[in-house]
Amino acid sequence: MKNFQVAIIGGGVIGSAIARELSKYKLNIAVFEMGSDVASGTSKANSGVVHSGINSPHSSLKARFCVEGNKMFQSLADELGFPLQWVGKYIIAKNEGEINELEHLKKTGMDNSVSGLEMKGGSEVKKKEPNVSCVKALWVPTAGITLPYEFTIALAENAAENNVRFFLETKVTGLKKQQNHFLIKTNNGDFQAEVVVNAAGLNCREVVSMVEEPDFQVYLCRGEYLVLDKNYSSLINSMIYPVPVKELGVLGVHITPTIEGNILLGPSAEFIDDPYDKRTTKETMNNLIQEAKEIIPSLPDKAVINAYSGIRCKLALPESGGWADYRIEESKNMPGFINLLGVESPGLTAAPAIAKEIIKMISRLIELKEKNSFKSRIHGRKRFSELSTEEQLNLIKEDERWGRIVCRCEHVTEAEVIEALSNPIGAKTISSVKYRCRAGMGRCQGGFCTQHIVRIMGEYFNMDVTDIKLKSPNSNLFYGRTRGDQSD
Amino acid sequence: MVEPEGIKVIDHSADVVVIGGGPAGLAAAISAKESGAEHVVLLDRNSWLGGILPQCIHDGFGVEETGTSMTGPEYAEKYIEMAEKQDIDIMKETMVLQFDKRREITAVNKNGLHKIKASAIVLAMGCREKTRWNVMIPGDRPSGIYTAGVAQAFINLYNIMPGKNVIILGSGDVGLIMARRLKFEGANVLGVVEILPYASGLPRNVVQCLEDYDIPLFLNHTVTCINGKERVEQVIIAQVDKKMNVISGTEKKIECDTFLLSLGLIPENELANNVGIEIDSITGGPTVNQYFETTLSGVFACGNCLQVYDTVDVLATDAKNAGKSAAKNLTIQKKDKKIITKVAPGRGVRYVVPQIISEPGKVHLTLRAEKPRESSVLHVIADDKELLKKRLLWANPANMIGVDIDIPLEVMTTTQNLEVMLGDC
Amino acid sequence: MIVERNITCIVCPIGCKILVRIDGTQLEIVEGNKCKRGIEYAKNEAFDPRRMLTTSVLVNGGEWPLVSVKSSKPVPKEKLFPILKEIKRTAVNAPVKSGQTIIKNVANTDISIVATKTVKNNKI
Repeated sequence: MKNFQVAIIGGGVIGSAIARELSKYKLNIAVFEMGSDVASGTSKANSGVVHSGINSPHSSLKARFCVEGNKMFQSLADELGFPLQWVGKYIIAKNEGEINELEHLKKTGMDNSVSGLEMKGGSEVKKKEPNVSCVKALWVPTAGITLPYEFTIALAENAAENNVRFFLETKVTGLKKQQNHFLIKTNNGDFQAEVVVNAAGLNCREVVSMVEEPDFQVYLCRGEYLVLDKNYSSLINSMIYPVPVKELGVLGVHITPTIEGNILLGPSAEFIDDPYDKRTTKETMNNLIQEAKEIIPSLPDKAVINAYSGIRCKLALPESGGWADYRIEESKNMPGFINLLGVESPGLTAAPAIAKEIIKMISRLIELKEKNSFKSRIHGRKRFSELSTEEQLNLIKEDERWGRIVCRCEHVTEAEVIEALSNPIGAKTISSVKYRCRAGMGRCQGGFCTQHIVRIMGEYFNMDVTDIKLKSPNSNLFYGRTRGDQSD
Repeated sequence: MVEPEGIKVIDHSADVVVIGGGPAGLAAAISAKESGAEHVVLLDRNSWLGGILPQCIHDGFGVEETGTSMTGPEYAEKYIEMAEKQDIDIMKETMVLQFDKRREITAVNKNGLHKIKASAIVLAMGCREKTRWNVMIPGDRPSGIYTAGVAQAFINLYNIMPGKNVIILGSGDVGLIMARRLKFEGANVLGVVEILPYASGLPRNVVQCLEDYDIPLFLNHTVTCINGKERVEQVIIAQVDKKMNVISGTEKKIECDTFLLSLGLIPENELANNVGIEIDSITGGPTVNQYFETTLSGVFACGNCLQVYDTVDVLATDAKNAGKSAAKNLTIQKKDKKIITKVAPGRGVRYVVPQIISEPGKVHLTLRAEKPRESSVLHVIADDKELLKKRLLWANPANMIGVDIDIPLEVMTTTQNLEVMLGDC
Repeated sequence: MIVERNITCIVCPIGCKILVRIDGTQLEIVEGNKCKRGIEYAKNEAFDPRRMLTTSVLVNGGEWPLVSVKSSKPVPKEKLFPILKEIKRTAVNAPVKSGQTIIKNVANTDISIVATKTVKNNKI
């Protein structure tokens, strides 16, 4: 049995942000993640937007953590090297009737001290966004974009570099308070911890119910996205949002540029029962294109290179407006058990601020001593395609694997794949490579590079082909060898 | 640019640079050399030459060209040997990152970065397979979904078995051949699903890959959903109507662990696109004249990046002509290309290559029919004048049609558009 | 008894549909073949259907783990799977040269299995 002072259940953006913040202190910390990598749930499947904080009512936790988190992003990006661009956002009124809603949003934003909000006329918007038609828009300059999985991975890997232990493919199956500690049962053995942080996202209720009767319900709301080919990146310059869909408590189908030059359409909003049901549907795919065309009439039909969905963890039913605030609290009956419940959008933006809050809560339970050895990573991963000629030449001279391109769509080199596979949290799936170095994320969707990645996994990491997984414990890619297997 | 000592971009120059060492690139490079180009460079991103051929271990290659049937690796080796004998400068594991309007190529390999100034460039980058998202198949995103060519590479090159119970969507040749291949390797091939009312691959492959092994072919069917949270667990197939819309109520679940896609190929033209070469939206390849020259002077295109061919034989023949043109481009003084006639597909024809006639004389047109027909008539029309009328015993979209036509100078001076049509007898 | 049957020729990419009339051991081509090779094919297909067999064999110590192979001539259809079984059990050492015989008289058919690819030694 292994003992930790703090155990975090869930390696999403919240769990990873908390882990990284806690790794600044002299503590034994463990993160239990049931997926094969961090960011394997909602944290990777969202719009990747750093929100400004205009959408949540004043004095809500959502507003507070969103505004605080937003302000922390730039320095985090500088420290951790994940990409961040302040592209700004237009919330557009398609007709006169929607202008009121813009005014309302502006007021909420100002109440929440969001700076720079401006109303723009339709023709003014047209100058900046020639493909967008609207009568009026609210300009939100403090909204930005990031890569949500890279952000989460950077937090987690930096935490791991500062001695946080990550247990991947480890599902917490039982939780029990024993005297002054918790007994944590998992599929990979039993653990002990003084403090348990429930950052299990969609499964937050399941974790609570292991120790006490939950006083809340979780409502799952799936959002589907479409990814457009980079060829169409010039369609927009900023994020384009409709006015929010009040009845569902969601922001509505928006058009978001990504850091990598793709465009995202989505998300839809559909209440479902199964937290693992992340399918995409034909109806929604068609609807997303139709709704996006209402914003950008010139949107091409055949530009989609990928589709995915993510699931929002809501604490309110659609009948009651779909809006509820986050619950971030220590269990009243069970001191040392800290719960993060209903952390949906703007969770990505709020994560750094929530992490600070959790540190405060933990400091009331355990004495926290800062450690001198904490290393905030300064440089992110090098990407061959983004380097100068001189840097490229130096790298190739140092190691010829920098001169071998394995992903032809995104120009990713063998060295980058090896670096991705050598990550400090030990994630070794095809997806973990993709989310770290983009191999397989382009137009051919892995058609050419998968074979190279498989070769590299065998050559440098001694992995058997039957152990190679796409993204999760049972997502094996292969069924062994065609020749020479013992079974033949 | 200031560079530290000892680390430099490697500069080269060449008469003809061929980008891509598959069958088209090999044929073009050999032919360029034979046609008098002194320094020919052949670049390929793989560690081997021959492109996709080494994984196409089935036979049937070269029948039209040589009269004997070869396997893919044999066909490739024949050309590789010729290229090696011809003193062609071959650079493997070399990826072209870009080239500019002055035909300066930037490439990278383990030795460093290369700048190659080329008098002529031949594009032979080949194609890539359509993915699930090109046809927007919804559902889960599990492992076990492969394009047919990727599965073929795993089985035939890397000794890896990608699946056991397999459904194949698309009856193109690669899909049909993979059905047999998987059967040979002990997999259970549950069926090939085709949205069209006919198989899109060659008839001989329907016979020797499906019928021989009683593998069902579901015509007028498509896959409407993929289920499986981690590995593929089932796919839903359904019948479609004449407009290819799913007929509700015909959905059927098929339990499987692997879903192969053989949906067709997309020419790879990122390099051409980036430099502003015009791309034909139907073929997906560059717009070319009868010398295979693209809209950027001195840049030629051949092989599957020009148009997706159905046999390597025809592909190699065209590629040789492209290579020859690239070599000749060096010596012939360019005429002012003031007179240009465009060739456009008309009724019954999906596309025609070349799309541009830049000089009068004998021109070889390749085209594809829109749908299978029994005997029909091919017309080439200049305004209201018929330049060519040819009877065809059959026309099938799976078989490219080739036709020679003589285009007189007076037609070129009076007509700006030629139309190619297929009609009933 | 006279039977009429459609045979799709697989000799070349055209794939002619040949209508044949079979009377015992006699075969008459009714129509459909666009060349002479079709006649030959239809006769064989009616009385002794054969197929070229292509697959691969395990290579030890090669730059590739497999070498592609073919049958030296078309094999009787019913022998395909017994031959495949024998091939699966076979392994060769690198280097392998294209054209090299890998198995002689495979599954007692008097047919050889021949390499269709050159596989050099592994560089290590």
